[in-house]
Amino acid sequence: MRRLLTVLLLAFAAVGVAGAPAQAHNVLISSDPRDGSTLAASPERVTLVFDQAVRQGYAQVGVTGADGSSWADGSAEVAAERVSVKVRPLPAGGSYTVGYRILSADGHPVTGKISFTLAAGASGAPAGQTAPAGQTAPADSAAAAEAAANGGAGMAVVWIVGALLVLAAGTAVALRRSGPPRVEETRS
Amino acid sequence: MTTVAAPPVAEQRVGGRLVAGAFGVCAVVAAVAASSLTAQQAVPGIPMPGPVVSVGLPIVRALLDVAAVALVGLSLLPKLLGFRNPERSEPVLLKVRPLAVMAAWAWAICALVTIVFQTAELNPGAVPTFGMIADYVQSVGTGQGLLFSAACALAAAGIGLMAVRFGEKVPAELRVIVALFGLLPIPVTGHAVNSVWHDPIMISMEIHVMGAAAWTGGLAATVVFLAPHRDLLAAVLPKFSRMATVCLLLVALSGLVTGLGTMALTPGVVLPEAIVTSHYGLLVVTKTALVALLVPLAANIRFRLMPAVRQGRATALVGWAAAEVGIMGLAYGVAVAITRASIA
Repeated sequence: MRRLLTVLLLAFAAVGVAGAPAQAHNVLISSDPRDGSTLAASPERVTLVFDQAVRQGYAQVGVTGADGSSWADGSAEVAAERVSVKVRPLPAGGSYTVGYRILSADGHPVTGKISFTLAAGASGAPAGQTAPAGQTAPADSAAAAEAAANGGAGMAVVWIVGALLVLAAGTAVALRRSGPPRVEETRS
Repeated sequence: MTTVAAPPVAEQRVGGRLVAGAFGVCAVVAAVAASSLTAQQAVPGIPMPGPVVSVGLPIVRALLDVAAVALVGLSLLPKLLGFRNPERSEPVLLKVRPLAVMAAWAWAICALVTIVFQTAELNPGAVPTFGMIADYVQSVGTGQGLLFSAACALAAAGIGLMAVRFGEKVPAELRVIVALFGLLPIPVTGHAVNSVWHDPIMISMEIHVMGAAAWTGGLAATVVFLAPHRDLLAAVLPKFSRMATVCLLLVALSGLVTGLGTMALTPGVVLPEAIVTSHYGLLVVTKTALVALLVPLAANIRFRLMPAVRQGRATALVGWAAAEVGIMGLAYGVAVAITRASIA
């Protein structure tokens, strides 16, 4: 009986934990501009693409010149697996590093960098490229989808209360079982 | 009648401290060393967490593991001792039960402090406020996992208190289960893969964590508390040895499956080169080497010392066990770094 309880508890726990939504480690798969590329015109924004959705909040992207000057304009915007930041007009003929630190789907900060150079004869002003229009719009729905996938803190509270109830019930049963037949319990 | 043979006690108590200390010190030192060697390098334009967080986080995380291992070991000890001989085992268990409660409290506190440190890690340059911590727990699964672990540890403390009050009427199995239950959310704080193999790898990870805790905790508790009592040791060590053999196989196998599987399923990782080029791969190699190192030590205790222990003769068990537990501590420290190292 007690062994049965053991197995049941462990199975319940294993299924509960393993049944959590798949949350994996994010990996940078591409970027615009590409790592190591030479551009003919200053980009309007830098976009990093990861293999899966990046968590809302906590994402940071910086664009740094060779002299340490910062060129990012505003903070990073997360839209599903794309993280982008606006860039002020860059001086031509310099090399730039895009550093990022995002919160991976499995909860770890992931840092990394890519670099690009701007050709000497490049136009300082941004080229006429327009930022993809749909990039900022889905941020809200992405946040909602993420909250739904995680279950939020409400889910954690349910889990904790459930676990404590199971434990309390187990304790009560165990104490009642081992209460009266005390001699048998301690001697066999 | 329940008095213990007096002469060896003082000496053996030192031996017990040696075993417990070897584990704790090795785990913390290895965690800090491995974490700082494999830390993600600073990138320009991005603020990184300060040294308090980058050193403090692995320390607290290692202490969490030490407390969890201690609780699992101390909970296993009554089960290993059994009820055959209460006159002999009760004096030992009277010392063990309060320590189990302390270990449970330490586990819960370490888990909560880890949440604070991880919040600070994600908000570099700011002292975490209560709102930031709540936000972190709400949005990140790691925070929820640690909170759940802390809750289980507190439940274990409650049950441990009952065991202090009511003795072995509180079944040993229940204490073991609650302690192992608290370990279950810990793998959630590590790496995960985005594939159909996610669940098998997660289950493999659960087996790894529970097997390692039972093996390490069981060995440490057995040696620390039973080395001065040769008759109890002669009865318990063979039982533990059978369990340890199973644990060794489970831990090694599940560790390899998880490590190689996680690397193989992460996009952009090319096996087998990544084993020696990525931080994660190098740490997997280190842990494999440590387990390989444990095999001869465990075999020495199992095949050379155990026949003598069974006959109640004096052995150098404490020294060998301290070496084995120390290496286990190193492996635990590396484990702290591996959950955070970059795979690609």
